[in-house]
Amino acid sequence: MGRFIASENIPVLLTRLATDGAVWAPAELPDSGESVVFAPWQPGREVVLDRFTQMSPKELVLPMSERLLSFSYTLTMEGEEMEVESAIPGGHTVIFGARACDAKALVVLDALFHQDPETTWSDTQYRARRDDMTVVTIACVKGTADAACFCSSWENGTAEKAGSDVIIYPVPGGFLAEAVTIRGTEVTGWDMFDDSDQPLPELDTTDVVDFDGLVEKLVTPGVFSDLDFWGRESHKCISCGYCTYGCPTCYCFNIYDEMQGDRQGERCRSWDACMFYNYTVETSGHNPRPTIAHRWRNRLGHKFSYYPANQGETLCTGCGRCIRGCPTGVDIRDILRAAGEHE
Amino acid sequence: MSTIAREGVKATEPLRPEPATVVDVIEETPNIKSFRVVFDDPELMQSFTFLPGQVGQLGIVGVGESTFAISSPPSEKEYLQFSVMKTGEVTSALHELTPGDKVSLRAPLGCAFPTDEWKGKKVLVVGGGIGMAPLRCLFMHLMDHQEDYQRLQLIYGARTPRDICFTNDCKLWGEVEELDFITTIDTEHPEWTGRTGLVPHVLEEEAPDPANTIAVTCGPPIMIKYVLQSLEKLGFRDEQIFTTLERRMKCGIGFCGRCNIGPKYVCVDGPVFTLKELRELPDEH
Repeated sequence: MGRFIASENIPVLLTRLATDGAVWAPAELPDSGESVVFAPWQPGREVVLDRFTQMSPKELVLPMSERLLSFSYTLTMEGEEMEVESAIPGGHTVIFGARACDAKALVVLDALFHQDPETTWSDTQYRARRDDMTVVTIACVKGTADAACFCSSWENGTAEKAGSDVIIYPVPGGFLAEAVTIRGTEVTGWDMFDDSDQPLPELDTTDVVDFDGLVEKLVTPGVFSDLDFWGRESHKCISCGYCTYGCPTCYCFNIYDEMQGDRQGERCRSWDACMFYNYTVETSGHNPRPTIAHRWRNRLGHKFSYYPANQGETLCTGCGRCIRGCPTGVDIRDILRAAGEHE
Repeated sequence: MSTIAREGVKATEPLRPEPATVVDVIEETPNIKSFRVVFDDPELMQSFTFLPGQVGQLGIVGVGESTFAISSPPSEKEYLQFSVMKTGEVTSALHELTPGDKVSLRAPLGCAFPTDEWKGKKVLVVGGGIGMAPLRCLFMHLMDHQEDYQRLQLIYGARTPRDICFTNDCKLWGEVEELDFITTIDTEHPEWTGRTGLVPHVLEEEAPDPANTIAVTCGPPIMIKYVLQSLEKLGFRDEQIFTTLERRMKCGIGFCGRCNIGPKYVCVDGPVFTLKELRELPDEH
């Protein structure tokens, strides 16, 4: 027996979820044309579940900018003392209306940022957020996927459940709900849900990039040794970095300090992008990845070769945001396919 | 070969530095200063261990931090030394420091020279300019365990006599009979009576036998390039040659993304690499 929630009960569900913590749900950005982004939900705010969000919910685990530490200097009888404290985010977060690709992306990021501190480093702020989070995913049923989607390139495709607590499936009059985790069972047990014996609707399928043999090609020597290939394939790119900001799995960051007066301040981090020249330029002026060709080789290499080798996950979930949003029409699938055909 | 030593960087708070205090500043050259620092937490200072080649994120909270090799040897328990060339924002701020000033430190980070695996071999160390910083630590560590190695040889070059770092150490090393130590400057100079010639040339003149020998080099990229060619000419194989790399780094723990060469992160998989390892990576040096 499944569970069903009527469309008019969605605000009831959101209100209940909001008693646990901050609920972020897709909403139309005011004065932005029709852009849909994850925004803090408040009673009365309309949730948009029939369009893709322009940005992924990544910012709820890795904010665009956030405080890492606070520090202060104090003068004592013994001399100057310095205190440094980690900023630890608190409070539950609910991501409502993620797609399967967005939820999977969280699991992909966990592979780096949420490793076992007994064996390696573990990110303080990321871990705090991930450990206190509910993810409600909306399934991509038939007719949802667009031309940029390519999650079916992976085994589970639109049926991927990793990262979701609950998956809701649009059906006439409301949504069928499937619990994935214990938290999911708790949520779907609430009384705004009813029992239902409706079968789950059929899911959509997307474009497929064939990864067979690709990982073997993305090596040195091999396609990585052919910089001309990367120059040809990335000739349209203007290095704007949109693809990295829109990406649910791109995580590179910069660290910088901000003083508040001259006795205290904060160390912060903000999103960075591997497509920027300044990302790798050294003080001497030397830049190990000086051209867009170098940076594309690294971007694709990181996603489809280095991260899989180091973290066991592809650093891409096929969400298509980099394709939909690229101002010059670069399509990562074209480059992947060309790399696969590289002799 | 990545080693994670935990004193000084907490696994669950890897970006939080420990407060430390500058106890001594040594002016090495007109633009290089060595800073001797001590963790403010005496227990941490006492338990702190590291291996030669490992680095630290030294900085000033409010300005930022940068990656520097620890230039003092592991046997030095009184302080940790970092030798810093004034080049950018953080290094310029560090150069303003005087004893008593506070610094922030995350150390040790990165992996070390596998000195245990070198036991019974000859070790040839070839350094240039500020590249001597990690090599000073390594060389002093090797000297601490001299009986474990067949022979220790150091060739250290600088542009002019004034650019030679660690002059006191150089004097001491020059007096140790069992050591094969050569300092050279690039061209003749009125203040210099010692050897002259570019490091790769001196290396070829000395022509060390590659048999059962490990070669370690660090210095300006152009010097490294020619030293590697000279070593190859002398018959050294790629797996006998070690170097330690520098990169723009932020986090030091393999998270922020920028210091990778292919799948290897200089901050965690390095900074120490063999030439063999580097040849398998994309050409992004």
